[in-house]
Amino acid sequence: MNTAKRVLLLVGSAKQQTSTSEAIGTCLLERLHPAGFETETLFTHKASRSDEAMAELIAAVARADLIVLAFPLYVDCLPYTVINALEHIRDSRRSTTNHKDQSLLCIVNCGFPEAHQNETALAICRQFARETGFTWSGGLALGAGGVIHGRPLREVGGAARNVMASLDVTADALIRSEQIPKRAVDLMARPLVWKWVYLWYGSRGWRRVAKRNGVLKALGSRPYQKLI
Amino acid sequence: MNAVILDGSLENNKVPDTVRAALTDELAADGWTVDTMVLRDLNIAYCVGCFECWVKTPGMCRFNDDGREVARRFIQSDLVVFLTPVSFGGYSSALKRGLDRIICLISPFFKQVRGETHHRLRYNSYPRVLALGTMPEADPESERIFCRLVERNAINVHSPGHAADVFVDNEETAAVRHRMHAMLDRIGVVS
Ligand SMILES: Cc1cc2nc3c(=O)[nH]c(=O)nc-3n(C[C@H](O)[C@H](O)[C@H](O)COP(=O)(O)O)c2cc1C
Repeated sequence: MNTAKRVLLLVGSAKQQTSTSEAIGTCLLERLHPAGFETETLFTHKASRSDEAMAELIAAVARADLIVLAFPLYVDCLPYTVINALEHIRDSRRSTTNHKDQSLLCIVNCGFPEAHQNETALAICRQFARETGFTWSGGLALGAGGVIHGRPLREVGGAARNVMASLDVTADALIRSEQIPKRAVDLMARPLVWKWVYLWYGSRGWRRVAKRNGVLKALGSRPYQKLI
Repeated sequence: MNAVILDGSLENNKVPDTVRAALTDELAADGWTVDTMVLRDLNIAYCVGCFECWVKTPGMCRFNDDGREVARRFIQSDLVVFLTPVSFGGYSSALKRGLDRIICLISPFFKQVRGETHHRLRYNSYPRVLALGTMPEADPESERIFCRLVERNAINVHSPGHAADVFVDNEETAAVRHRMHAMLDRIGVVS
């Protein structure tokens, strides 16, 4: 009998290039794989594009013992593609009753430097777990996700040190089928870099890209200004 | 004064007519012009997080579809109403599909609000926000999350006034109307 645990990473970022959500989720899978977990990764935005892809996502969720949902904060909560997937998962679970024991871990990263801005999003994830019968393994919140910018964490250097340490602690707990400890949450929430440095570089970054696009002077445009 | 209702009803979970009627009657009685956008019927691409609406076509999304219209109506209204079935304490997918497209209305640059980072304004004025959630039965935790989410949104969209409430699907019409009036009154929308 195959007793390997299956973990499904659901990436909730719709970015075309690699996202911070995917980078963090992948790093966690790399820690679970050696412990005998079978891993799979799917993207909620791809599932939003067709009924077949959504059915595939729902089947993968049904197979998994552990779901890791990693997504960016969009307008203080979950991106559309993630809510859409969760609504479909809820509906699919309404029509089937006997579920096996399944756990959910959520990882949210946001653009602002304060990790606590992700709290409402994590509360929604927890409520989803409650309503649909997943065991809540915990939620991790990261601020200043732009520092990682979709790079593999080991390439980010010192700034990702605490993120990786958090994932170590998280993986240990998940391997033992336990809720993640507060230490994992605290490590993930630690500022990656000093707030003002991040904001300064962030603003410079916007200006640089705008300049490259030839719109530096138009950055404050108001295309929808009401004509009175 | 004009209001836009962003209706986030889902195909299998619609906002009850009692709530919709209480809202539109109140607004009409006070002389508001009200437009409704039923988001699930519109063509709205999901946000791909490219930030081009900040640094390539400032203030406008690269996707030329009804999502642009959601942003335009949002900023040109005096009141924006989120009408939504509550999904796990948050907005329905249909509403969120539209809301993810409004970040073009704010500036990429930062400011501090009570020690927290937020974005600066792009426009001179922003609408008041009223969020009306509906649920098949009462759930205090969902309601708490919903009201908190609206509070957080109000900061990020620089709203000069906001209110949120959750209605239960079979709630008495009189009770719905009473609460609706009180809420609109509280944020200075009707008198
Ligand atoms: C539509 C949209 C809405 C966003 N809303 C927020 C927000 O409310 N708060 C925040 O801190 N960051 C917000 N962000 C920034 C993202 O959360 C941030 O860029 C994140 O690092 C992206 O992660 P990803 O690479 O996994 O997609 C938003 C980004 C987009 C595109």
